[in-house]
Amino acid sequence: MANKLGIDPIEQDKIKITINDAGAGVEVHFIGDIDMEDPSVILDPLFEKVHSGVVANKLGEVIANFKELNFLNSSGIKAVAKWIMKLAMLPADKKYSIRIQHNKAITWQVTSLPTLTFLVPGAVKIE
Amino acid sequence: MAKKPDGYIELKFGPRWRYIAPARLFIQSFVAIAIEDQNKADGIAMAASELLENAVKYAKGEETSIVVQAFPEQNLITCSVTNKGDEASVKELQALYKKIMSGDPLEAYITQMREAAVRQDGKSQLGLARIRYEVGANIKLEITPDYMITITIEVH
Repeated sequence: MANKLGIDPIEQDKIKITINDAGAGVEVHFIGDIDMEDPSVILDPLFEKVHSGVVANKLGEVIANFKELNFLNSSGIKAVAKWIMKLAMLPADKKYSIRIQHNKAITWQVTSLPTLTFLVPGAVKIE
Repeated sequence: MAKKPDGYIELKFGPRWRYIAPARLFIQSFVAIAIEDQNKADGIAMAASELLENAVKYAKGEETSIVVQAFPEQNLITCSVTNKGDEASVKELQALYKKIMSGDPLEAYITQMREAAVRQDGKSQLGLARIRYEVGANIKLEITPDYMITITIEVH
């Protein structure tokens, strides 16, 4: 567990997800494909751990690094959207931001990921 | 509608999840060769994958098929996925289709994402909205009296 939140990495099916310290915040790094039938089984608990850990430790920012994620199905998008929507429910003193890193060479990332910035205005940035 | 395709592929398989990823890769390669547009091929392969995921999840029988046709002269690709439904699944699909096809594609997609985030039934119902917005596809829904469902996307 090489991160300040003590969250274990996940390696299952065709996806590997690691949580890494990144400055004052943490990075959630996705590598591979998320195209299983029900990705919420792994993503929902992971995002809940990240969310509660970031809020409890007042980290301020999470980097969601999708640059090495080759495919994300709509069930996976639902899980990411569910995480982002948690930001809308936070009181002002507990809010944090999500910075999405994307790879312009992967078509779905160019079309899919920017739409996530519309869910909770001001809470998600894309770079 | 297009005339005769310059080329096509048709895949039939018992609806099993493990066949979707290889079908997606095969369709991506076919479209990339047919129209020499990598980004469009990626988008159509994503759309085909979403349609197949729905077919596998909700099919009521084994008769699942996908047909991809290329019309290079019209710069058009069509992709049709057919599967067996039942009365309840057809009604739900018709209502979803009507909702998604009305209004602005981005607004419909964002609305579906917000609703998906709070759904408790395990469904996402995001696939069609994603296809319409991200691929810019025209989407047609056809249902026969014996509940064979065909969703066709047309991408220029």
